[in-house]
Amino acid sequence: MKIPVVQNGSQWEHRIWRVLRDLGAESRLVPNATPFSELADSDGIVLSGGALRIGEGAPAGNCAEYLDRLECPILGICAGQQFIAAHYGGLVKPAKVPEFGRVDLIVREPDGLFDGLPERFTVWASHNDEVVEAKGFRLLASSKDCEWHAFRHERLPRYGTLFHPEVQHTEHGEKIYGNFVKLCKQ
Amino acid sequence: MFDAAKFAESKVSELSALQGEGVIAVSGGVDSTVAALLVLRAVGPRLHCVFVDTGLLRKGEAGQAMENFAALGLSVKKVDASQRFFSALEGVGDPEAKRKIIGEAFIRVFEEEAKASGAQWLAQGTIAPDWLESGSGSRDNIKSHHNVGGLPEKFGLRLVEPLRDLYKDEVRLVGKALGLHEKFYNRQPFPGPGLAVRVLGEVTMEKVALAREACAIVEEELESAASRGECAKPWQYYAALLPVRSVGVQGDKRAYGWTVVVRAVDSGDALTATCSEIPHAVLKRISTRICNELKQSVNRVVFDLTDKPPGTIEWE
Repeated sequence: MKIPVVQNGSQWEHRIWRVLRDLGAESRLVPNATPFSELADSDGIVLSGGALRIGEGAPAGNCAEYLDRLECPILGICAGQQFIAAHYGGLVKPAKVPEFGRVDLIVREPDGLFDGLPERFTVWASHNDEVVEAKGFRLLASSKDCEWHAFRHERLPRYGTLFHPEVQHTEHGEKIYGNFVKLCKQ
Repeated sequence: MFDAAKFAESKVSELSALQGEGVIAVSGGVDSTVAALLVLRAVGPRLHCVFVDTGLLRKGEAGQAMENFAALGLSVKKVDASQRFFSALEGVGDPEAKRKIIGEAFIRVFEEEAKASGAQWLAQGTIAPDWLESGSGSRDNIKSHHNVGGLPEKFGLRLVEPLRDLYKDEVRLVGKALGLHEKFYNRQPFPGPGLAVRVLGEVTMEKVALAREACAIVEEELESAASRGECAKPWQYYAALLPVRSVGVQGDKRAYGWTVVVRAVDSGDALTATCSEIPHAVLKRISTRICNELKQSVNRVVFDLTDKPPGTIEWE
């Protein structure tokens, strides 16, 4: 199970690698400038977050090409999620209420990523921007201050969370990555 | 899951390929001690351990570290470089500038030691958060860890970092697998730049002495509270001296002294952390002791309630 982590500059990108490794996946960290051909045989990829401002059109290396050409599941985290939303015609703006640290998450649809998880739990976020419109995506989870905390595409294997399931203080984070690995196996 | 014994075994065999003599920087903490034990197993007496007394260490720390090394069978050379560190830091208030100066001062000491012993490589106990937070490529610099972002661009030694991909919780498991005592592998982290990052702004010997006493009080009180079951022992706990003065009253006289902040957090890997829940009774004991024992200089104590993010564990 090859699931590389594409680095967009997150402080926590190496944690994503660690969680995937602990789940038994074959993972490695790759810069977002990595040519598409080197990732073509992936079973799934994760687009990390980073300080880049997607709402201002930050290009995020070759992430657009990965989304256009890879058929395997792709999970975007934080800025990675925002990039996915923007790539498919959605809108990313400075968050009305930026969230740093503890967030109470409300699961709207226990689909795919949230399979087997409680309806409410604590997650950790660290974001200045948020997705305000996601064309063709289904809402999976929200917080009090931010609607699009997690989504999946209606037709394509594209997933995203604004919060960070890879950090130790997020409850059930490893289970969320476990669910993603399961989606990659299908 | 992470298999510590297997990790130790494969690292030792990988490190056995190291040629010639080498120096390892040991601080007395978990990371560098575990790294030293791994390298020692791989190269034996070709490894030279160096402990630098920066003058920025906690109360009794240098002596305690040397005792611990001896108990572990590590032969360590102690270098007193406190004058060098204080001179280099004179007049510098910016936190990033301070960290870079400290990183460079460390490296210069190690270069001198390497030269003396004919070493070609320098081993360090660098772990993942050190380089993650130091920034590189698309990753923003949060703070320059002295052993990564604080390294000068040019220095004449090859770096060996056996724990580079590990986090603190994993290093502790490796320490346990190597037979270290629980008290040692679970000891709280202490930053490489030492008390220099617990004196906000410019570092002076007087201010470091205040931070040292305040840290010792926080450690004593929290450890004794934990041993009595009043609260759990936090993951990391300390005091820092803030460059803020406020008005107070001591024995019917006006006082105008400095402020000490008490910080205690719970974490596993230092990348995220929550503020620890410390009973008010314990915090009040800490506050009273700091204000009484440092009354010449400190007349106010505050408690930091910030999680990471948005805070970091240390204040600089």
